[in-house]
Amino acid sequence: MVPLPAPTDLDRSLAALRASVADALPPTATDQAIAAAVARAARRNPQAAGRRTASDRWLAWPLALAASIAVLSFVVRSLPPEAVVAEPAVPSASATAEFMPVVPIADIERAGDAMVVPARLPRMTLAQLGLPVNPALAADAIDTELLVRRDGSVLAVRFIY
Amino acid sequence: MPTELSDRLQATDAALAARVACGDVAALTPLYQRHRAQVYRFALMWSGSASVAADVTQDVFVHLLTRAGDYAPECGALQPWLLGITRNFVHRRTGADARYVANDDDGEPPGPALDLPAPEAALDAQRDLARLRAAIAALPPHYRDVLVLVELAERSYAEAAAICGCELNTVRSRLSRARGLLARWLDAAPSRANAAKG
Repeated sequence: MVPLPAPTDLDRSLAALRASVADALPPTATDQAIAAAVARAARRNPQAAGRRTASDRWLAWPLALAASIAVLSFVVRSLPPEAVVAEPAVPSASATAEFMPVVPIADIERAGDAMVVPARLPRMTLAQLGLPVNPALAADAIDTELLVRRDGSVLAVRFIY
Repeated sequence: MPTELSDRLQATDAALAARVACGDVAALTPLYQRHRAQVYRFALMWSGSASVAADVTQDVFVHLLTRAGDYAPECGALQPWLLGITRNFVHRRTGADARYVANDDDGEPPGPALDLPAPEAALDAQRDLARLRAAIAALPPHYRDVLVLVELAERSYAEAAAICGCELNTVRSRLSRARGLLARWLDAAPSRANAAKG
C-alpha cells in the first residue's frame, strides 16, 4: 500500500479555508428573493404553477359526474315517445353488461320507484361516462337500458351488446 | 407534512428539474434547499466576497427557474451542472470573463499583495486565512476554477473537467500550477512582509 503524502502547509491552509466556510449559507435576503421569484413565476403561469391541489381533484369528479347525468337526462327527455317504453325494474335477459351508476349508490338505494327504460343513445354518451369510443362509430346509436326515476333523472346505465 | 410537500422533498433532482421545466415552479423550492449551500460556498470561495456569492446564488436559481429544461439528467447529476452555471455567473459578476483569456502557457501572473500589515490584535490563523484568500483571488480564473472545485468544493477531477468544459489532464495541470503559485506566493509573503517592516 502506497503511503499518502504528508500534508503540506498549503494543504493545511486549504483545509482551514474549507472548514471556515463549511457552514456558510446564503443570507436570508437570498432565500426571500428566490421565494419571490417562484411566486412571480407562479402568478405568470397559474395553470402550470403546481400540480392540481387536493381540493381541485375532489371537485373534478363531482363535476364530471354531474355533467354525465345532465347529458343522459337530456337525451332521455328528448327521445321521441316511442323510443322510451317504461317497464318494471326487471333486467332484460339480453343485457350482458352491468349497470354503471351515474349517481351515488345511496341515491339509487333511496329511489324505490325506479324503472328500467330501454333506449338507443348516441355512442358519444359512452365518452361522457369515460368509456372509450371509436371515433368512426361515434355517430351510431347503441342500445342501452337506463335505470331512471319517475322524474326522468337517470340513476344508472348499461349497454346492450 | 402534506403529501404533496413530502413528495417534492423525496423526489429526485432530475424529477424536480423536470417539473420546473414543465411549469411546476414550486418544485424549485426543494432544489434550492438541497443545493443552495454548495452553490453559495463555491461562489464564496471563488470570489472571496459574501455579497457576490449571494448575488450569484440568486442568479443561479433564477436561471434554473427559467432554464431547467436545459438540464439533461443523462449527462450527469444536477449539482455539477449547477456549479457550472455558478462558475459562469461568478466569472461574469467579477468581470473575470472580460479580463482573462484562459491560456495555460502564460507566464506567472502578478502575485497578490500579501504583505499588508495585519492588525496586531488579529489572530495568526485569521491572518493566514486572509492571506490565502487574497492569494486565491490573485490566481487567473482558469486556475482558480480547478483549485476551488477540487481542493475546496471537493469535487472529483472528472466533475471539475465537466464543469469547466476541459480535459481531465488539463484539470490536473491547472491544479498543479495553481498549487505551485499559491505555495510560492505564501512562502514569499513573510519575507516580503518582514522586508516591508524593516
